[in-house]
Amino acid sequence: MWQKFLRPLLLVFTSLRLTVILLVLSMALVFFGTLDQVNFGIHETQKRYFQSFLVFWNPLPPESTNPLARTGLPLPGGYLLGPLLLLNLLAAQFYRFRWSWQKSGILLIHSGLVLLIVSGFVTGFLGYERQMWIDEGGTKNWAESYMENEIVLIDKSEENRDRVYAFDSDHLKGGEIIDDPKLPVTLEIEEYYPNASVRQAGPNMRVEPAATNGAAPRMGLTATPAPETFAQDEFNADTAIVRVYDGDRDLGTWMVSNLLDDRFPPQTFMANGRVYEIALRFKREYYPFSITLRDFAHDRYPGTDIPKNFSSDVVVTDPQAGVERESLIYMNNPLRYGGHTFYQASFANQDTSSMLQVVKNPGWTLPYIAVTLVGLGLVVQFGLGFFRPRRRKTATATAAGNGPQPPSPDAQA
Amino acid sequence: MNWKKILPLLAFVLGLAYVAIPWGPRNPGSGFNYESFGKLPVQVGGRIKPLDTVARNNLMLLSERQSVEVPREGGGTVEVPAIIWLAELAARPDVADTWPVFRFLHPDVRSTLGFTEDDGKVFSYKELEPRFEQIDRLFQQLPENQERWDSYDEALARLHERITRYHKLLHSFHPLGNTTRLLEEYRAYRSIIGPGLAELQKQQNGQPYNEQILQTFMGFADRYLKLSKQAMLRIIPPSGDQPIDGDWENVGDSLLRSIQTRTIDPVVREYAQLTESYHSEDEEEFNAVAGQIRSDFRAQYPGEKFRVAFEQRFNQAAPFYRSSVVYVLVLLLVLVSWLRWGETLRPTAAALLVAAFLVHTLGLFARMYIQDRPPVTNLYSSAVFTGWGAVLLGIIFERFFRNGFGAATAALVGFATLIVAHHLSLSGDTLELMRAVLDSNFWLATHVTIITIGYSAVFLAGGLALFYVIRGVFTNGLDKKMEKTLGNMVYGITCFALLFSFVGTMLGGVWADQSWGRFWGWDPKENGALLLVLWGAVMLHARWGGLVRTRGFMNMAIFGNVITSWSWFGTNMLGIGLHSYGFMDAAFFWLSAFVISQVGFMLIGGLPRHLWRSAPLLGVRKRAGKDAPPSGPGAATGEIGSAG
Repeated sequence: MWQKFLRPLLLVFTSLRLTVILLVLSMALVFFGTLDQVNFGIHETQKRYFQSFLVFWNPLPPESTNPLARTGLPLPGGYLLGPLLLLNLLAAQFYRFRWSWQKSGILLIHSGLVLLIVSGFVTGFLGYERQMWIDEGGTKNWAESYMENEIVLIDKSEENRDRVYAFDSDHLKGGEIIDDPKLPVTLEIEEYYPNASVRQAGPNMRVEPAATNGAAPRMGLTATPAPETFAQDEFNADTAIVRVYDGDRDLGTWMVSNLLDDRFPPQTFMANGRVYEIALRFKREYYPFSITLRDFAHDRYPGTDIPKNFSSDVVVTDPQAGVERESLIYMNNPLRYGGHTFYQASFANQDTSSMLQVVKNPGWTLPYIAVTLVGLGLVVQFGLGFFRPRRRKTATATAAGNGPQPPSPDAQA
Repeated sequence: MNWKKILPLLAFVLGLAYVAIPWGPRNPGSGFNYESFGKLPVQVGGRIKPLDTVARNNLMLLSERQSVEVPREGGGTVEVPAIIWLAELAARPDVADTWPVFRFLHPDVRSTLGFTEDDGKVFSYKELEPRFEQIDRLFQQLPENQERWDSYDEALARLHERITRYHKLLHSFHPLGNTTRLLEEYRAYRSIIGPGLAELQKQQNGQPYNEQILQTFMGFADRYLKLSKQAMLRIIPPSGDQPIDGDWENVGDSLLRSIQTRTIDPVVREYAQLTESYHSEDEEEFNAVAGQIRSDFRAQYPGEKFRVAFEQRFNQAAPFYRSSVVYVLVLLLVLVSWLRWGETLRPTAAALLVAAFLVHTLGLFARMYIQDRPPVTNLYSSAVFTGWGAVLLGIIFERFFRNGFGAATAALVGFATLIVAHHLSLSGDTLELMRAVLDSNFWLATHVTIITIGYSAVFLAGGLALFYVIRGVFTNGLDKKMEKTLGNMVYGITCFALLFSFVGTMLGGVWADQSWGRFWGWDPKENGALLLVLWGAVMLHARWGGLVRTRGFMNMAIFGNVITSWSWFGTNMLGIGLHSYGFMDAAFFWLSAFVISQVGFMLIGGLPRHLWRSAPLLGVRKRAGKDAPPSGPGAATGEIGSAG
């Protein structure tokens, strides 16, 4: 058994040939994952290529109706290549590697690479990015996603705080019933559009509004599904038609959409004697601290529109920790607080609103360690190779295969 | 005579002289001192630069040249430098307007505007003037979304932009229409400010007022208001103790401010004097006034005394142009040295290479001084620096191996990158200011510089591999020993390239983490750098694993050129960038051509060894029965083992 199957299999996983194949496949993945950013934008591409097991590349644009657009060049995704590379590296390291000072560089490089791949997965699974828009003088204790959505029910009947019931909505399909004992009501998702065009019917148009209650009948709104967009400066208008049941009682339908944001009056219904607001919005993350924007500044080079600097003058208030800290966030100088990084990302409203990108990455130190290890390893390895005295090699690396033996490039000097 | 010693020394001295002499001052002798005029400081694009740079950049943007071919009376043309063109534009617009400076090549645009093949490719303002309305109308018809523009749309928009640019430049020095009597105009204006304001006051209070005085005054104000909106250059330094990079004023703004100060700013007056003296061909006064403006500027900003004038000198010396000429010469010398007189010509080429490299270095440092920045700040400077790094490495290799390969490759890469840089400079000021997001000298100096050295190394390895293929296939000069040496050279550089690409890429990750809280975001530029690192790893592992031998490794090194050009330029052409910049379309063509050429060399390198002209020297027997070697990269025959 061992001799027949497992040993050859192990040899496959320890081979340099496999390393080369995996690296070349990684290059193909990275290359096509760059090309497809033109069609799918950076986030969607990242999901499709680097956070997946298999991906099909196709030169046709995503909206193409050509039947060929459904197939394409298959490529192993990041979730396949990453672990395989890891396996190959570890297998080779444990099975073949014999310690010697000559190979200390290789050991450093490879352990750094293991850490780098691991840190990629840590960031992929545990990290997230959110946006925080603040107006000058305003304060916020939450940030929102710019891709993921949630449906929320908000009970405002308590004096000092809101009770928010939220569930992710991106995966919802028309016809689904949300019957969770934690929720105060039962919801039936009649329709769910990942992107929709929401329009106001003209006064003379006889079009049924999209729902029986709330904003849709009040403003005469209709919703029709639209193709999803991946463009950098556009977002998908997730829209749902939701029927609400208070126990067995049918309260009617509401149209909720992330287009109907804070600028619109909240949509409400009564159930078990309480008033609830219902909304579909970009997924929010609440923090135990808040950020106040005192001032946003946007400097340009004299006589031009070339931005010289953007900066947000903010105060972090954390009542639990008893912290009230001023900070100036500007280009290349983010604020790090509470495990989050806030950096200057955008601005609007004649330079009176600032957008901070909020990043949480629990594994943020790993790449630093990994990079140091690899960098050191490369220097040691090539340094050893370069300064090693000239020596006749007895056998080619092929047969031994136990790690590289770089010849000295200055052998002829 | 020992030519082996003398020739290299002579080449070095002559090469250095050729590239260094234009740095020295020119004796103005008699006539207009254009050099002094070219050193006048102005603020444009947020940067303080000499008029010489303004002239060159604008002429480059209009006509893709740094000089104008002015038709001579009675046939033929005479080449006029950019600064003289600018002087004419300032002082005698009626003359400058007849000089052909608008170059547009797009056949559809030309035929739409009614130009035929015989009309040439470069047109003067005068020739275009009757078509302005038409151009404007066509421009308004273009689709709003620039991503949808085709090449006609882009060419038309570019022409429209060029005409606007010319106009703005024309209005940069003084109001138009009165160029011979500017001082008189300013005097009249100054004397009417007081009375004009008084009459205005009266009018606003509803009292009787002198209509004629008010009209005259308002006429001036209106004229200067328009001028302030048209002028491109800001020619008047900030007053008082304001820093040099504060807000400079254009001539219109300054004349409007005169309403408060009741005086005409001396610089405005001096530019009028310049114009008038140029017009009346009073060389002495022209030169004196230009000198006056400069000495006032130096007195106001003693700390910046040299920079602006130095930039003019730098432009004039054209170090990168001159070193690229010498690089070509070096390349030719090495190629000849491989055929004949190798012992004399090779050291000569090497010496010449060092001379060119010194000037290349001087140009690099000059840019760093002018800009006060690390060497790489934009695509243009990355080209200059990549070449510089490759030449440096090449010189080191030439010093060790003394076989011409290091010198030839250095010269080739140096020349090619400087050509690329030249074409990138067509898009405007190469010393442009840094956008906010990139404004970090620390990361520019570390991440950007290191990764660019990585590019240099990969190109050097790829270039060596090219020469390996060329010498092996087309000449009978490649023997076993040389093959082994070259293999070692390319292997060594590849290690070096991997080290720098990796460290540079990872420093980029650290920058991203420091600035944006994320180490890696899979954006095109990051991915490009990653490809380079991965390719380096593939090459080394393939060699260590015995999957390729010397020849396969060389072919992989050539493919490294393809990868580097992709991560350097290809990634910039993705998406919107591909459509909105005209030069990028041409760049896309050249990138494709480069990639095809490299793949071509790889195919040639993959030819069965017995077809190589060097086959006998490499110990490959001619095809005979079963000894027929398999073809394809890496399938080398005989005992050409992996070098080591």
